[in-house]
Amino acid sequence: MWPGTWRKVFAGLSPTPRAALRLSKRLYGPAGRRDTIFALSSGHGKCGVAVIRTSGPASGAALRSLTGQWELPPPRAVTLRRIRDPSSAETLDRGLVVWFPGPHSFTGEDCSELHVHGGPAVVSGVLQALGRLPGLRPADSGEFTKRAFQNGKLGLTEVEGLGDLIHAETEAQRRQALRQMAGELGRLYERWSEELTKALAHMEAFIDFSEDDNLEEGVLVQADAAVQTLEEEVKGHLQDGRRGERLRGGVHVVIAGPTNAGKSSLLNLLSQRPVAIVSPVAGTTRDVVESAVNIGGYPVLLSDTAGLRVTEDAVEQEGVSRARERLLQADVVLAVLPAGDFVPEPCCIAEALRAVLPHGDLAWRVPCVLVLNKADLLEEGHREILLGACQKGVLPPTCLLSCKSGEGIDRLLSLLRAQLEQMCGNPLAGSPSLTQARHRLHLTSCLASLGRYHSYKSLDLVLAAEELRLARRHLGKITGRINAEEILDIIFRDFCVGK
Amino acid sequence: MFLFRRRRALPPLPLTWRRRAGGGGPGPRWDVLVIGGGHAGTEAAAAAARSGARTLLLTHKADTIGQMSCNPSFGGIGKGHLVREVDALDGLCARICDQSGIHYKVLNRRKGSAVWGLRAQIDRKLYKENMQKEILNTPLLTVHEASVEDLLLTEPEPEHPGKCQVSGVILGDGSRVHAGSVILTTGTFLRGMVLIGLEMHPAGRLGDQPSIGLAQTLEKLGFVVGRLKTGTPPRLAKDSIDFSIMERHKADNPPVPFSFLSEAVWIKPEDQLLCYLTHSNAKVKQIIYDNLHLNNHVQETTRGPRYCPSLESKVLRFPNGIHQLWLEPEGLDSNVIYPQGMSMTLPPELQEQVIACIRGLEKAKMVQPGYGVQYDFLDPRQLSASLESRLVQRLFFAGQINGTTGYEEAAAQGVVAGINASLRVRGKPPFIISRTEGYIGVLIDDLTTQGTNEPYRMFTSRVEFRMSLRPDNADSRLTLRGFEEAGCVSQERYEQTSRMKAALEEGIAVLKSLQFSGTKWSKLIPEACIATSRSSPASALDILRHSQVTMEHLARAVPEPLRKFAEWRELAERLKIEAMYEWHVNIQQAEIEEVRRDEALQLPEDLDYFTINASLSQEVREKLNSSRPQTIGAVSRIPGITPAAIINLLRFVKTNRQRTEHIRHSRVGGSLSEGNTLEKNKWQNASLSCAS
Repeated sequence: MWPGTWRKVFAGLSPTPRAALRLSKRLYGPAGRRDTIFALSSGHGKCGVAVIRTSGPASGAALRSLTGQWELPPPRAVTLRRIRDPSSAETLDRGLVVWFPGPHSFTGEDCSELHVHGGPAVVSGVLQALGRLPGLRPADSGEFTKRAFQNGKLGLTEVEGLGDLIHAETEAQRRQALRQMAGELGRLYERWSEELTKALAHMEAFIDFSEDDNLEEGVLVQADAAVQTLEEEVKGHLQDGRRGERLRGGVHVVIAGPTNAGKSSLLNLLSQRPVAIVSPVAGTTRDVVESAVNIGGYPVLLSDTAGLRVTEDAVEQEGVSRARERLLQADVVLAVLPAGDFVPEPCCIAEALRAVLPHGDLAWRVPCVLVLNKADLLEEGHREILLGACQKGVLPPTCLLSCKSGEGIDRLLSLLRAQLEQMCGNPLAGSPSLTQARHRLHLTSCLASLGRYHSYKSLDLVLAAEELRLARRHLGKITGRINAEEILDIIFRDFCVGK
Repeated sequence: MFLFRRRRALPPLPLTWRRRAGGGGPGPRWDVLVIGGGHAGTEAAAAAARSGARTLLLTHKADTIGQMSCNPSFGGIGKGHLVREVDALDGLCARICDQSGIHYKVLNRRKGSAVWGLRAQIDRKLYKENMQKEILNTPLLTVHEASVEDLLLTEPEPEHPGKCQVSGVILGDGSRVHAGSVILTTGTFLRGMVLIGLEMHPAGRLGDQPSIGLAQTLEKLGFVVGRLKTGTPPRLAKDSIDFSIMERHKADNPPVPFSFLSEAVWIKPEDQLLCYLTHSNAKVKQIIYDNLHLNNHVQETTRGPRYCPSLESKVLRFPNGIHQLWLEPEGLDSNVIYPQGMSMTLPPELQEQVIACIRGLEKAKMVQPGYGVQYDFLDPRQLSASLESRLVQRLFFAGQINGTTGYEEAAAQGVVAGINASLRVRGKPPFIISRTEGYIGVLIDDLTTQGTNEPYRMFTSRVEFRMSLRPDNADSRLTLRGFEEAGCVSQERYEQTSRMKAALEEGIAVLKSLQFSGTKWSKLIPEACIATSRSSPASALDILRHSQVTMEHLARAVPEPLRKFAEWRELAERLKIEAMYEWHVNIQQAEIEEVRRDEALQLPEDLDYFTINASLSQEVREKLNSSRPQTIGAVSRIPGITPAAIINLLRFVKTNRQRTEHIRHSRVGGSLSEGNTLEKNKWQNASLSCAS
């Protein structure tokens, strides 16, 4: 997997004097040719401040677009700026920016740093915005350091330990890649990569052998059809980036249950401020009340809803139907039931839960956490019986809670976090949003190459093949497989070539 | 003893040496000694001589110099690129082809000029004559007919890796020849074995002697050797073939020359010969299936080429296909036809049966049966990018002995080995062609870092930077470097290339600066479909990218300043190609620079990967040891090397550099360590036992 992704390899030795002379004479082109790279430089996951770094000639332009100001901040001074998405002008965050014009920077190139709030939503928003700018791409691992080396900015002491660091980083990436690759998504990318390789191999065979051997133009028609199918699939896939959206907008957690179960109290408890009015009167909440909170590093949008009951009150009826509607859009449901209201038997609890969930379906597709509130009102000994009952049958993960005393909140938070982690990946094990941004970027570039393939194929077959090579390289950056021999193997497997 | 001497003889005087040779005294010293007069040997000897080395070419039979031992053709897709690059370094084969071809054809005409394949059928006799004439007339180059039995070895130079140093050779008659560098280009002669049916006999080509003494020496020195196989088809008598029922294939008119120096090829376009196409059939398949037990070559497990397979293996692997058989003339006045695609190792009488059931060959007479060759090759990972071996200093290898197949691949290595053998003697830095600079670079980098397990052939799909490495621009990529760094390029060629390069640069600049709106362009050149909707103006270079637009169109539309560029036909064609690829070449440029940066980071040649104190896995150590990469760029291309391993390697090298330099210094001072003394004894013994 490595030789491909690591082709532009990190470099640590300064060239020999003679080589350096030769280099300066004939090898180095204008410095402006280099890509500008960006990456999250602080650790992944939940943290107070995240630092995103760029390095390369387009750093200044990127800073201008992100801050929306033509004027660059004074060099090496910390400045507060609004950071926005240049494509939508939507504000992503307010943060500190630092501008390091080359050569007085870590890498020796123009660099910038954005210090933003550490939530994954903000970070992935900024990274995706950077990825859409021309000339910018996510850095390969160790690439900042590599550039620093090449520009003579790193001494021996700084190199010490770097190998281990990169090793740890790539290990984490590898594990993450493996995790993702084991899934359906991985199999999909693998299949695309294989199909593209085959199409490319057939085209290469046509270029290298058709004049001498029995290769018909039919080979090209087949390759063409394969590319077209692939193009449509990638396009469809890119339009369906639900998981990334979830992180940016926050996970929708809907609190639902019968009236007077303590839903609004739970909302206030989780928000740590009085968002909703709380009263002992059933049916206090009549509309949907929202609150954005951070749970375990994940942005969560909590919605408190009207208690579900049959009512004659027109306003409350509307509230209940809004609650039902909101339930259908939920990513996670917190079903709140008053703990003392029913017989501690699995079937009875299930019955009560069924009344909350849409269609009364316990196996509904949206994950659910069952919260048995008002635990403080339970008699001693009753809780064990209740908890025991909850573990039987087909009930979702359950916790006993008292909004009044705060008892059980830790258990609820850990259940919720586990649920969020399952949905979004563990931010501490390598940021999923970062991977997501990278995948999206490579898939978009892959698609662009496939598009250009069509415009070149009648003009110049070599250019068309080059676009397929580029497309394959972008896919290879996701699947980690780029190999020239593979193409030759396919050629010799599929065709009888040579004389 | 001497067959040829160059006309303007320069010292040293070989006659003196001949008298002394038998006595065992030190003979005169040549700069470069080339063993073998095939395609690699001739190019190596000529390149060494061109770059100023007094060169001796040793061959079994001087009459076989320039012999095309297999197919009567040169070039092809990918291979044509190599020929162009050899020419750009002032090599011989392109010019000789332009004087000896009888059917010139550019392949891939419809597929983009980056993959055009210059190819020609060559008159064997003419090629040999012209090559021998060229070799004879090369100043500083002498040819001598002798067999080489062994290498003369001495103590190694401490500042280079290697357990010993070659200082010359011992000939079949026991005499010694001394030289600064030695290049081995012995092709398939190392333990060569010819196979026909169940018969086997040792030989390189049919009728030649294999080199056994040398093979033993190389083995004793510790060179890792592998075995490969190849084959050649039977030859047919032209007058016994019924061409009237076959598909005719005409040559190009006008023919495109291989060499940048040739205005045109020697033959009149209308005098070119035809090639013919026929096919295999079910009867052929049956004979092959029925007689597999009589076919040793096909049964054996030695790796053969996947792309130049015998008819038998084609039939076995793709039993349902109908296989093409090209009938190619071997010369203007030759009665021999070479049936390309019919390489066979069946017993001769069965080969005749196969031939007789092919359409048009029913009455064909077989003048020589096809046969298979199995031979030793040297694992090329034991060579550095200059083609010098790491085991024995100043010993270079080029051609088929390194596991390649094809005249062009051999010639390309020959030029590089010749130049470097000469530079080595003069103590100059090696001349390395990078993967980013030429197909030659890809060929040598693939061989020396990845090795090969089948005869290696060039394909365009092996080349990452195919957009930039085109046949049309081989001169601007290599000629100037060859002149400045290697001194292997004539003044005349240097000036011609400089002129062309300057004109190209000027032309591109002018084309870029000439900008009009789409509407204006479509009025100026109505025959091309130029989009008028574009808001930004388009440059003349953008317009030239349209498939229907040529420089002539542009010059007609805007005579000033474009006329002068269009009038120079060659320049106009090259400008068109530059325009086609400009966008992609620019994109690739960033990547090329990245590769070059990595290649500028050199690793010490004498690292012992098994003992160094760096955090590397055993697997990585083994890979590094067998490939012995010279640069970080090469390390990154070895499959299975992790980024962390690369950094740990770099860290080690950087911390140890000072220490290493200190050790070298003390070695130069004369204190040989015990290990060195032992090694010295070992090679001395090896040398003695071979010489006796």
